[in-house]
Amino acid sequence: MADVVRGTRLTKHWGSTTALRDATFAIGPGVTGLVGANGAGKTTLLGMVLGLHRPDGGAIEVLGQDPVTFGPAVRARVGYAPEHDALPPDMSAQDVVRHLAEVHGLPRRAATERASDVLFEVGLGEERFRQVGTFSTGQRQRVKLAQAIAHDPDLVLLDEPTNGLDPVQREEMLRLIRRIAHGLGMNVVLSSHLLEEVERVSDAVVILDGGRVVASGRISELRGADSGELVVSIDGPADEFVRALHAAGVAAVADGERAVVAVEGPAVYDAVRDVLADLGVPLRRMEPRVASLEDVFLAAGDSR
Amino acid sequence: MTDLTGRIHEGGYRKYEGERLGPSSAIASVVRQTVQRVMGQRRPARAKALPYLSVLIAYLPAMVFVGVVALIPRQVNDSFLPAYHDYYGFIAAAIVLFVVFTGPEALCPDRRSKVLSLYLAAPLTRTTYLFAKAVAVASVLTLVTLGPPLLLLIGRVAQGDGPDGLLGFLSVFARITAAGVTMALFYTGISMGISSLTDRRAFAAGGTLLAIIGSTTVAATFVANFQLSEAFLLLNLNIPANEMVQRIYGQPGFLDVESTALVAAAVIGWTAAGFGLAWWRYQTLRVTR
Repeated sequence: MADVVRGTRLTKHWGSTTALRDATFAIGPGVTGLVGANGAGKTTLLGMVLGLHRPDGGAIEVLGQDPVTFGPAVRARVGYAPEHDALPPDMSAQDVVRHLAEVHGLPRRAATERASDVLFEVGLGEERFRQVGTFSTGQRQRVKLAQAIAHDPDLVLLDEPTNGLDPVQREEMLRLIRRIAHGLGMNVVLSSHLLEEVERVSDAVVILDGGRVVASGRISELRGADSGELVVSIDGPADEFVRALHAAGVAAVADGERAVVAVEGPAVYDAVRDVLADLGVPLRRMEPRVASLEDVFLAAGDSR
Repeated sequence: MTDLTGRIHEGGYRKYEGERLGPSSAIASVVRQTVQRVMGQRRPARAKALPYLSVLIAYLPAMVFVGVVALIPRQVNDSFLPAYHDYYGFIAAAIVLFVVFTGPEALCPDRRSKVLSLYLAAPLTRTTYLFAKAVAVASVLTLVTLGPPLLLLIGRVAQGDGPDGLLGFLSVFARITAAGVTMALFYTGISMGISSLTDRRAFAAGGTLLAIIGSTTVAATFVANFQLSEAFLLLNLNIPANEMVQRIYGQPGFLDVESTALVAAAVIGWTAAGFGLAWWRYQTLRVTR
């Protein structure tokens, strides 16, 4: 399937600050996390996707078009929820979403219907006629999400959508983002500095550090499908278990109630099973060891 | 046997397969929303007070004059009734009041609440956004610059006291329209230019009022102290549009300035300066980084 966004050697300066430097990446269908510390260039990149900033160098293509040249046409197919609070406090949620859907090209009647539908979808159906200024932070984040998807865009850009949310609200927002991508069929770019939440909802990531793309691709590929190690979690300290594995000729390292076992061949699985049975140790969990997104991020930073 | 055919109407979010309109629809939507906002529609009662009060003040003389035409014989009422070009003298305060809050109300909240970033993430550009705002402000201003003289004309025609013949009517109608639109565009440029400098409505309103009043003092002082031509009074923001209205009606005007082209240049210059300032401010405004 064609790339949703493609950047080639993108560079952008703000005065003496370089926000993006030779950024080359491709964003495919599904949810893509745009990851990096504050100031890494995430919001600048989103602005370029919207055609609001002209690149100082390189090229960008969004949904097959140049957003600088064809800005209005591209933006008609894109939804955007900015990081900051960007809603008029003295309008009702329904009016805000309807109006912005109209601005994105929907006829008035369709915009009115879809504003209601989408506000129900984000869980604000009953409150949709309340003024936005009376909403909590979590509710305002939902209104921002609703206005971003009301016109049924091909691409949704979400800039730090969980900012200011408590853990329950954050969980709900991540569920909504997953539903937008996998239930409603929109492509999502999720900008965040929180690796854990990006890892949970994203299919792929673009990792930015100091304006450079330090890693990009499918998360499963970046983690490495097979690390050659097995994590065995047991009920109790793993020291005795690891000693028994060594005695059986298997290399392993104890880590609290977990043992990291080197998989040098299929026989290792039999050895683990036998040692567990001999010791009578209850097994909690056994899985291949994969790198977390944080490991990938740190490794990418180290490799620079 | 019962016919069990039926249809399930599923609620909730669905893919949108309908018509998608272009940027002109986006502009129309911003115009409509801005007019509603300025007039206090879908907002609390206190937001409606000022616009409706201004409109009432602007229309009240016209309603009174139409009443005079209806109730008092023509020989008597001729001495009471103003000429169409003099009507603006009765509603100058209402126009200034309307101008002072219309531009700020149209422009400032979008920047203050940062909703401008959502508009610019839509199929609008900075220029088309400003164009929509200008259309909205000018449309609202015509409520007080065009509506009342038109009401006066229609009222007098209805009472058999209008201009003579169809040509006479069309001539007055065209002059009223040209004068009302000129005045609306002039003040739209001024108020948008000043409102583009701040995102606070109160500052923008105060700045607009200060510019209108302050320019009167500055221009008068210049002309008096430096023995300058009265043409320099066109620097007074109260004068160019009102002077142009007199010229549109074929009247000599208030100033000792022979050239109507000079008056027109002043109107166009001030209007362009206001729009130009707003355009420049919005081109350089950073909405996301």
